[in-house]
Amino acid sequence: MADDKRFDDALDELEQRPVAEGAETPGPEAGAAGEQPPSVLALRAEFGDAVHRHEVQGKGEHVVFIDASRARDILGWLRRTEGQEFEFLLDLTAVDYGGGRPLQVVYQLYSQRTGAMLRLKAELPLEELEIASVVPIWSGADWLEREVYDMYGITFRGHPDLRRILMPENYAEGHPLRKDFPLRGRFTRAEQTRRALAMAVEDFYIPSELDVVSRRGAPPEAS
Amino acid sequence: MGVGAPEWVTTQLDFVVNWARRNSLWPMPFGTACCAIEMMASAASKYDLARFGMERMSFSPRQADLLICAGRVSYKMAPVLRKIWDQMPQPKWSISMGACASSGGVFDAYSMVQGIDTIMPVDVYVPGCPPRPEGLIHGILMLHEKIKGESVTDRELHRRLRAEDPETVGLPALPARSIDELAKPFGNSTTQNRPSGLVPDRALERPRDRKP
Amino acid sequence: MSTRTVEYEISRAPELGIDGRPVRVPAFPPGVDPEMHGERMLINVGPQHPATHGVLRLVLELDGETVIRCIPHIGYLHSSFEKLGEYRTWNQIVPLTDRMDYLAPYIYNCAYVMAVENLMGIEVTERCKVFRVILMELDRIFSHLLWLGTTAIDIGAFTPFLYTFQERERIYTLHEEYTGARITTSATRVGGMMAEIPEGHLDNIRHFVDTFPKTLDEVETLLHNNQIWIARNQNVGAMGAEAAIDAGLTGPNLRASGVDYDVRKDRPYYDYETYDFEVPIGEHGDCYDRYMCRMEEMRQSLSILLQALDRIPDGPMNVDDPRVILPSKTAAMNDMESMIHHFKVVMEGVDAPVGESWTSVESSKGELGMYVVSDGGSKPVRWRVRGPSFVNLSALPAMVEGHLLSDVIAVNASLDIVLGEIDR
Repeated sequence: MADDKRFDDALDELEQRPVAEGAETPGPEAGAAGEQPPSVLALRAEFGDAVHRHEVQGKGEHVVFIDASRARDILGWLRRTEGQEFEFLLDLTAVDYGGGRPLQVVYQLYSQRTGAMLRLKAELPLEELEIASVVPIWSGADWLEREVYDMYGITFRGHPDLRRILMPENYAEGHPLRKDFPLRGRFTRAEQTRRALAMAVEDFYIPSELDVVSRRGAPPEAS
Repeated sequence: MGVGAPEWVTTQLDFVVNWARRNSLWPMPFGTACCAIEMMASAASKYDLARFGMERMSFSPRQADLLICAGRVSYKMAPVLRKIWDQMPQPKWSISMGACASSGGVFDAYSMVQGIDTIMPVDVYVPGCPPRPEGLIHGILMLHEKIKGESVTDRELHRRLRAEDPETVGLPALPARSIDELAKPFGNSTTQNRPSGLVPDRALERPRDRKP
Repeated sequence: MSTRTVEYEISRAPELGIDGRPVRVPAFPPGVDPEMHGERMLINVGPQHPATHGVLRLVLELDGETVIRCIPHIGYLHSSFEKLGEYRTWNQIVPLTDRMDYLAPYIYNCAYVMAVENLMGIEVTERCKVFRVILMELDRIFSHLLWLGTTAIDIGAFTPFLYTFQERERIYTLHEEYTGARITTSATRVGGMMAEIPEGHLDNIRHFVDTFPKTLDEVETLLHNNQIWIARNQNVGAMGAEAAIDAGLTGPNLRASGVDYDVRKDRPYYDYETYDFEVPIGEHGDCYDRYMCRMEEMRQSLSILLQALDRIPDGPMNVDDPRVILPSKTAAMNDMESMIHHFKVVMEGVDAPVGESWTSVESSKGELGMYVVSDGGSKPVRWRVRGPSFVNLSALPAMVEGHLLSDVIAVNASLDIVLGEIDR
C-alpha cells in the first residue's frame, strides 16, 4: 500500500543518517575562534606560546588552551595580576574524549572585579597524566582536584592530600569516568558486593586519623 | 480443642506479643537520599507516623525494631548498612523503601548496590521513586500484617529469621550467583546501553533491518 | 549597586573581640592549665547520623570537647550520575538531575536544560523564561524551608520542623499539580517545559505566596531572638570574606561573610536584571548570619514570585524548533512527516552540535554550574555538575577547628549541604 511504502522510505532515510565519524576529534577543533577578550590578549602577551588557541563556545564563553606544564604559573598570574584578578575558581574538572585522545583538565575562572569569565584547558597525554596543583592559589581547589584524581587518575603535583574522595580508599577497579571504564564497573556485582562488605575497620580510617589512636600508646583498636 | 488446651495459651500469647511488637515499631531511619525526605514527610504533620507509634525515630540501632532503608545505597555505604543491621537486636524487621533500595533503581552503574536484599534480609519492599508517604505507610501496614502472622512457637520462623549465625555477620545475604542474576541489565532499552556518539549511535538494531 | 542596610532587632552575644569581629573559642577554657590535657580522642560522626543531613562522615580529633581537627569523608552516596549521563540522551538526563539536589529539583532541572540550550544556541520563549523563574524561586523557598526545619531540629528546636514541613507539603502539592510528582519533578525539556501550565496552577502559587509570610513570621518569632538560638549560632563557624572566596564558598554562605556575589545579579539569566529584588549580605560570617541571609532570601523570593506571576505572558511554552521539540499529538497522529519527526526525536534523541557550555545559576545552596560537552551526537561526552555543596563542605574544617563538638553540628547544619549533589 502507498502508506506502507512511504513508511518504508522514511525508515530508509532514518538508517542512512550519517554516523558520527569516530576518527575525527570532536571537541578540540570545534568552536569558532572569535574575537579575543582582553584577558586572553593579556595572557598571550605575558606567556606567549604557552597559550595555544582561543575559541568561543556555547553562549559567548571564552575558552583558552594552555600548556599543561605552565598551568600553575598562568593560573597564578591570572589570580594575582592587577587587572585580571580572577578570584573565583568556579570549577576544576576534566574531560575524556575517548579513543586514546588526551585528557583535558578544565579550569573555570570568574573575576567579579572585571566581570570576566574564562575557561582554561590543559591537555594531558594518556601516558603522562600529571599536572601541577593549584591548591596554593585557591584553597578551594583541594577537593576539586581530589575528585579529578579519583575519577580520571590525573595526579596533581603538590597537592597536600591527594587520595580518593568519592570512591572507597581501596577501590581497585580503576578510574570511573575514563572512557575505557565500563558503566557497570570491571568486577561482577557479586565481587563488588563481596569487596564492599569485606572491609576491615582500619580501612575506614586514613593513616593520619589512625595516628591519633596510636599516639595514645595503645595499639590501634576497633573504634 | 478445649479452652484449657496449651495451643490456646500460645495463640493468646502470640496475639499479645504481636500486638505489642507491631504497634510500637521504632524505626531506624536509614535515610540516604530523596526517599529520606519522603520519610521525613511521612513523619511530619500531614502523614503522621505517630499514629502508628512510630514517631520515635531511633537513630541508635540498639534501640530500634525496624530498619527503613530509604534511598540509594552505594558500595561504600554497604558495609555501614550491614553493620547497622547487625547491630539491631532481634526481633527486627526491615523495609526497603524506594526503587533504589529495592533493586538499584535508575542507578545501574559501577558504584550502586543493586538492591539491599543482596546485603541484608528485607521484609517489605516499597516501590516508587520516591514512594509517596501513603506508599510508605502502606508498606508499614503490610509489615504489621506480616507481624500479625508470626508465632512465638514457630521454630521454622525462629530458625530462619530470628536466630542469627555469627558466622554470617558482615557477609552478603545472597549467594554470589543470585546477586549476579538479579543485577543483570534487563529489558530491551534501545539507548541506555550505548555511550555517547563516538560510537555509532543507531537506535534501531534489529536483525532484519536492512543495512545501507 | 546600592546597598541598603537594615537594622534588625536582635541581640548579639557579648563575645566579640576588640575590633568587633568574633573571637574564636579558645582551645582551652580559661583557668585550665594548657599543659594539662588528656589524650586526644577520635570520634566518628556518621555516615549514619541524624544530624549530618545525609550520609556524611566526619572524623573528629577531640581534646576534651574541643575540635582539634575535622576530616570530612564523602562518597557514601556516590551514584555515578556523571557516568550515567554519558549513556543517556539530552532529555533523558533531566530525571537524573532531580535526584541530585532532591530539595530543589526545579532549580537543577532548569539549570541543566539552560546549559544544553546554551550549547545548542536555543533561546526559549518568554513564557518559558518567566515560568522557569517562578519554578526556581519556588524551589529556593522549598529548599530553605527544609534547611530551616532541619537546622532547628539539629540545634534542638523541634517545633519549626513541623511548621516548615507543613508549608513544604503545600509546595509538594504545587509540584504535583504541575508535574505529577512531589519531589522528582523532571519538569523541563530542552527547548521548553514538559507541559503547558495547568489551569489554576498560577493562582495556587499566588495563594501560597500570599499565605506563606504568616508562617515564616511565626517561625522567625520562635528563633530570632531566642537566647538559646543566639548562643548556639552567633560567633560559631565564622569565616572571613577573603577566606571564603579562597575556599570557593558560594551562595548564602559566602554572602553571610560579606561578599556581594549572587549569580542572579552578577551574570543575570532569564531577565533577572529586570526583577526588583535585593540580595541579603551578612557581616560576621557566622551561623547566625547565614540563618539571617536565608530567611531574608525567602522573603525576596516571594517578591520575585509576585513580580513573575504578574508578568507571565501568554504564548507558546516550547520553542518552535523541530530539532528539539516534539510535534503536537494531533499532528503526529495525522500526518506522516510529523510521525517520523516524533519517532526520530524520541528514539534517536535530540542532536546537539559539537561544542560545550559551562552555565551557572544561583541555586539555593550556592552557584550551581552545569558543564556539558557534546561531540555532535544525542548524548553528552561529558556532563559535569559543579555542585555548590561540594565546595562549601570542603570549608567545614576551617570553620569548626577550635570550636566545641556541638558547634560542629550547628555549623554543618548552617552550611545547608545536600549529599546528593556533593557525591553525585
